[in-house]
Amino acid sequence: MGSLERLEFLEMETILSDGNSKLWGPHGFCENLYVRFDKFEKINAQRAILPLREWCLQVTAIVENMKGRVGVFISAEEDLKGLLQFLSIIPVIALDFPVFTDGRSYSKAMQLKTIHSYKGELRAVGDILIDQVSNMIRCGFDTLEVTHLLTQKRLASYSGEIFSGFYQNGVGLFRSGGKRIWRFF
Amino acid sequence: MYRYDEFDKAFVSARVAEFSDQVKRRISGEMTEEEFMPLRLRNGVYLQLHAYMLRVAIPYGTLSSDQMRKLSDIAISYDRGYAHFTTRQNIQFNWLGLNDIPKILSELAEVEMHAIQTSGNCIRNITSDPFAGVAADESVDPRPYAEILRQWSLLHPEFSYLPRKFKFSITASKSDRAAIQVHDIGIQIKRDLSGELGFSFYIGGGQGRTPMVAKLLCDFVPIEDLLRYVTAVMRIYNLYGRRDNKYKARIKILVHETGIKELREGIERELSSLRKEDLVLSREDIDAIFRYFRYPILDSRSSQNSNFRSLRLSNESFNRWVHQNVIPHKHIDYGIVTISLKPIGGIPGDATSKQMNIVADLAERYSCNELRVTYQQNLVLPYVALEDLYNVYNKLVDYGLATANINQISDIIACPGLDYCSLANARSIPIAQEVSKRFSTYERHMEIGDMRLNISGCINACGHHHVGHIGILGVEKKGHEYYQLTLGGDAGNSCAIGEITGPGFPADEIVNAVERVINTYVLLRKTNERFIDTYRRVGMIPFRHALYGKSGKA
Repeated sequence: MGSLERLEFLEMETILSDGNSKLWGPHGFCENLYVRFDKFEKINAQRAILPLREWCLQVTAIVENMKGRVGVFISAEEDLKGLLQFLSIIPVIALDFPVFTDGRSYSKAMQLKTIHSYKGELRAVGDILIDQVSNMIRCGFDTLEVTHLLTQKRLASYSGEIFSGFYQNGVGLFRSGGKRIWRFF
Repeated sequence: MYRYDEFDKAFVSARVAEFSDQVKRRISGEMTEEEFMPLRLRNGVYLQLHAYMLRVAIPYGTLSSDQMRKLSDIAISYDRGYAHFTTRQNIQFNWLGLNDIPKILSELAEVEMHAIQTSGNCIRNITSDPFAGVAADESVDPRPYAEILRQWSLLHPEFSYLPRKFKFSITASKSDRAAIQVHDIGIQIKRDLSGELGFSFYIGGGQGRTPMVAKLLCDFVPIEDLLRYVTAVMRIYNLYGRRDNKYKARIKILVHETGIKELREGIERELSSLRKEDLVLSREDIDAIFRYFRYPILDSRSSQNSNFRSLRLSNESFNRWVHQNVIPHKHIDYGIVTISLKPIGGIPGDATSKQMNIVADLAERYSCNELRVTYQQNLVLPYVALEDLYNVYNKLVDYGLATANINQISDIIACPGLDYCSLANARSIPIAQEVSKRFSTYERHMEIGDMRLNISGCINACGHHHVGHIGILGVEKKGHEYYQLTLGGDAGNSCAIGEITGPGFPADEIVNAVERVINTYVLLRKTNERFIDTYRRVGMIPFRHALYGKSGKA
């Protein structure tokens, strides 16, 4: 990248630094139908995401009024346990990456998808850099809510996995051939 | 040794391409140092006091002649003509330019090497017994299992952002030469009463500022459950290991704070929920890995052993070297040669480009093209016929590699210390050099006998001072380097953390203090009693008196 281009880039970053998150999925950027709220009574949208604690407190109201339209946000330090019995009525679970070095949500993603057979949308939110995208997809995330501008730019030109396969199983990966190698079909 | 297949090759090449792109983005300024740091660490690139350092993985310490030659080339082409072998059986280049690193990594890929996961908060290079596959006392070669774990841990999607770095060590011998009890996970492969192989898991060992001996987590994990079991352990650690304080983030703290019983229950619950079909290790998978190891076929070489014996009788230096540096091989006509990288007054673990080439040539000619790195920072020729030992010895003499001091006082483990490392509080290398010179004579070495003396330049304990029979720890006190002394540490089967003698010593006093400890031992020992055994029998008090006087003051 030339220096002029870099300058433009920095300016763009300054302008777009906060709040412009974009949702990215397997077919590229897509519309985010969900709005985050901290309390159930504040919801003024068709579809919403509530924090884990609030979701569990309001489960009766959700089932009565907005069944299948309220997702859950789970912070990195929160446990999945209380939520497992409700998985079938949760349309989206957003797992947080408060900083990209905090890897707890990868394990929760694997538990949700491979042990608890969660069928809804699994979304990664927070500090998402391009270099974590492969890990997130292999752990079963369906969508990434990306605020980082460089990540958005890279994802816009994302042409798929650079590795032809992996040494581990993962969500959507299948073992192929004689060696312990897993690939996407 | 293990050879890459097509997939392994393509995988490493893709990784080199990916990292080259990241380096380009960093150099162009597209990426900040903060964003680049975790990526470069994942590829073994550290920013040290004076330059970038690259740590190259030597899986379970095994490498070929060609690989050693490539390391030698890199040392001469991109570094200052030498490199440093580490206590985790890896190699470090200390004076590189960031620009050159992508090129170095692609050159390494040509000889099936890489630097992936040699740093960062991920599963690091898996270490093993340096005599694996050739030792007479093992139940099976542990390296194919180490290779299975290496592959499984490579760019693992779930375990790449752990609370802290994570170190595995694996042995299949009753005699632990891989220090498994001071690793996050230590594995001992053994056979049960019916002859079936399985794994004993030790967990939560480690050094650093909170040294701990590992606890037994499970006595016998069946072979087919290896990957299920490690997945369960890693998941529990990833979810519940502390992330609020980097000094409390290793699994040893989780073990300590949770208690081994409760932690074991959590791991077993997770284990029972893991789908078996994804992670089961079948007989065919294991056989396939063993096939890729391509073991050399050793010819019978007994005819001229008598010549070897007569050379030992006629050449005293050769005899001393054989006595100290060569141990029995599982094949009776062969020996396992340890090449000391601890010349008297030298820098422990350093080798010049020239020396690396010579060792590579010797391995090619006399040791089935194979070499090992030991966690004591020496090199090993694992397959030398006894009748070839004299030729090997003479060549080593020519290049300053024939020091006959394995497991003796000058066979020192030392970290790079303040001469290189940005974390260090004090220098390690000059202390190692001075200790080595002080006890330099053959007579003094033999008088002292078996001894492990380890030196770390800071509390991170890269020089393994906690498990030295004598340990030296560099600390900084009011702008001066001080050295704490510990006694009684041991990394083997009777694993123990050394006990601090008392107040530390300034740099010009520490070697005198070591000498007082040695002299006390020589006075107190019974016939043929090793230092560590004398220490265990008599305890700290007599040593403390010798160091600080009866009043206990320095």
